[in-house]
Amino acid sequence: MNTKLKVSEISKIYPGCIANDKVSLEFGSGKIYALLGENGAGKSTLVKILSGVVKPDDGEVFLNNESIKLNSPLDAKKNNIGMVFQHFNLFETLSVFENLSIDSDKKDEELRELVNDILKKYNFKIDLDIPVLNLSAGQKQKVEIIRCLIRNPKVLIMDEPTSVLTEQETDDLFISLKQFSKDGILIIYITHKLKEVLSLCDEVAVMRKGKVVSVSNTIDEKIESLANKMVGENLNTIKKKINNFKNSEEILKISNLNFNSDDPYETNLNNLNLSLKKGECLGIAGISGNGQNELFQILSGEIITEGTSIMFRNKEIGKLNPRERREYLMAFSPEDRISQAAVPELKIYENVALNNFKSSNFFEKGLVNEKKIKEHSKKILSNFSVNTDNVELKSQFLSGGNLQKLIIGRELITSPELLVCFNPTWGLDVGAINYIHETLIQINEQGKSSILISTDNDELLKLSDRICVIYKGKLSKIMNADTVTAEKLGILMGGGSID
Amino acid sequence: MIKVEKRNDVSRSIYFLTPVLAIFLTLFGGGIIFFILGFNPIEALKFFFVTPISDLYGLSELLVKATPLCLIAIGLSFCFKSNNWNIGAEGQLIFGGIVGGGVALLFYNHDGFYVLPIIILSGAFGGILFAMIPAILKTYFNTNEILVSLMLVYVAKLLLDYLVVGPWSNPEGFNFPETRQFSESARMPILFDGLRIHAGIFITLITVFLSWLILYKTYLGFQIKVSGLSLKTAKYAGFKGKTMIIIVFMISGACAGLAGVGEITGPIGQLHRNISPDYGFTAIIVAFLGRLNPIGIIFASLIVALTYLGAETAQIFLQVPKYTGQVFQGMILFFLLGSDYLLFFKIKFLGLKKNEL
Repeated sequence: MNTKLKVSEISKIYPGCIANDKVSLEFGSGKIYALLGENGAGKSTLVKILSGVVKPDDGEVFLNNESIKLNSPLDAKKNNIGMVFQHFNLFETLSVFENLSIDSDKKDEELRELVNDILKKYNFKIDLDIPVLNLSAGQKQKVEIIRCLIRNPKVLIMDEPTSVLTEQETDDLFISLKQFSKDGILIIYITHKLKEVLSLCDEVAVMRKGKVVSVSNTIDEKIESLANKMVGENLNTIKKKINNFKNSEEILKISNLNFNSDDPYETNLNNLNLSLKKGECLGIAGISGNGQNELFQILSGEIITEGTSIMFRNKEIGKLNPRERREYLMAFSPEDRISQAAVPELKIYENVALNNFKSSNFFEKGLVNEKKIKEHSKKILSNFSVNTDNVELKSQFLSGGNLQKLIIGRELITSPELLVCFNPTWGLDVGAINYIHETLIQINEQGKSSILISTDNDELLKLSDRICVIYKGKLSKIMNADTVTAEKLGILMGGGSID
Repeated sequence: MIKVEKRNDVSRSIYFLTPVLAIFLTLFGGGIIFFILGFNPIEALKFFFVTPISDLYGLSELLVKATPLCLIAIGLSFCFKSNNWNIGAEGQLIFGGIVGGGVALLFYNHDGFYVLPIIILSGAFGGILFAMIPAILKTYFNTNEILVSLMLVYVAKLLLDYLVVGPWSNPEGFNFPETRQFSESARMPILFDGLRIHAGIFITLITVFLSWLILYKTYLGFQIKVSGLSLKTAKYAGFKGKTMIIIVFMISGACAGLAGVGEITGPIGQLHRNISPDYGFTAIIVAFLGRLNPIGIIFASLIVALTYLGAETAQIFLQVPKYTGQVFQGMILFFLLGSDYLLFFKIKFLGLKKNEL
């Protein structure tokens, strides 16, 4: 079965941005294709067009030399194009089998036989009759893949599939994908992780600003060459020099901290212990949903705990709320920059006023000191190179990178002793990521400490002095960053143990 | 295939113009209703919206009705802006009236400049007290303030009923369900001879100014704004969420209580069963029609007050029930919500595809 998929001169224009600009690409079965690009490069739009979610303004899609119309996801299914999205579309409380049978027109017995065949063929180990909520992320993804396989797909599109997986699960996935490819399924793999492209894919198409900038065989490429094509400029890689903090002053100490939530969707934290020295960056790795959210909120004061369980510069702060903690020179940059760290409907200077505490003097005697807030905001915009100088602009008009710079700037301009940040570069393009990383290294050099909770291992290895892993609400041993490898982290993140 | 999408950016001027559009649509809808009822729509609408305010007395009546509506709506805007859905202003108004009225009866034989201020303050206090029930239940027991505040309206109504029939009824009143007339010193001063417009309007105007100051110039106003847009952000910024819920309920309860006491010491002059023609509920429409903005609420209260007057005129001249006024209020809300929906979302007609037919 030979499949040829061709997109020809596809254009899609959104108000204010050209998402796809005359994109033409050809794919053939038996190979794995990577679609590589920064956020906003247009790869998601292209994939949405292929899966019928978005209609192109111009251009055509050919399957085996026949022009096909993809007006809805249903059309994509009819043409045997399968798609696994980054976020799973599964009913958590239904069993695996029920989830599979929902959109299948086959009889139950027939379907079960088919699914069992697939499980056997690809060596998937999934119990079909347990609820989906009991599955790991990797298993959930397999359910999504099986859902596609049931329909005998000619094309399988994977959208950033490894963002929720452990290293081991990623390896498993790659083995399966290679097997599918051998069986004649054309695989298009969307990612911005360069290593994955090199280890998995045969051909790579790089997109930048809505255009295809290069198509090449992966054998001819290196990480650096791909990165340069993706970003379009030479990246100077930054690497932090590891310091020794043995004799530095201890700034934060958490001892025997427990958190038990009433909410079944939150993770309980068990017996947390950690300490942080002045000028040090502590990285906390882990797959999302293992208690990072709760840990961040405990550090920021959104969740209040025993006073004595958290000591910051020798003061008990466990019972203080975020505003009171800011008085002690702590600063926080949450993961969710759009609905938590900032409010899109507010103007820039109003968002700056959120980082308010007594000594900021934004509000005097209960009244708004607009002049002071605006002055302060202007300073943040220029010091942290946000690409506007209009403090009256609504924050929703800032791109993700500029919004994050504004947030980090807002938190740092008060020269805090400790910055806690949670996935600070999530969803940003390489330029913004670099800027944020440089900033985080800079504050350590100035003798300020930071805690970096992140799901991006490269980022953690690059920025941290010491690293630990959070798994199911427990912290692993804290290790010196120079002794840690991505592989070690992967094992710990998946619940394994090392030495 | 119809698809609904959120609009990314909504123009600010259109945001404030849609209420005007809603009013025109209401007039149009009203015209159609009158036409179906067999009236000349233009004539009927004239009776409804022009005749009532074509003389000085009419204008004064308009302000008499707008005074409590505006006051309550201003209070409610504090709650609504911060995501607290207090829809029991009617109950807070009645309870404010009960407390204020009780004090007025207590001072039945007293004269003095101090009597009225004490009555007014006790009315505000009554409103606060009654608004505290849903506020405290919400903050400490996680109850839903919509249900609690709504249900308490009936509690207040029945309590008022009991008082005016039983213990507080006028001893010389032949068992009519009403209290004594309050003494002169317990009445709001009338502004012009022969007109019912009273000093309560100043309370309303001062409240409008103060609330503008609070909402746009103070830390409290900033907290209310942020909490209304994102509770997660409010928590992250370290705002004291519980304290704020209590404060906004206090403000809105005080306003409703003031409106209640303004009614009984103003145009009514005693307590009886119907001290409010649902001002507390109608003020919800006023608050939204005015976009929760103090200036907008002033205009909205005048327009909605006109529907009260128009209904009375229409009852006299067209022999239609005065509940037509509520039909118009309902239409205003309906068209406002409708145009808001189109303002914030766009509807796309994707067209049917052949293979789906």
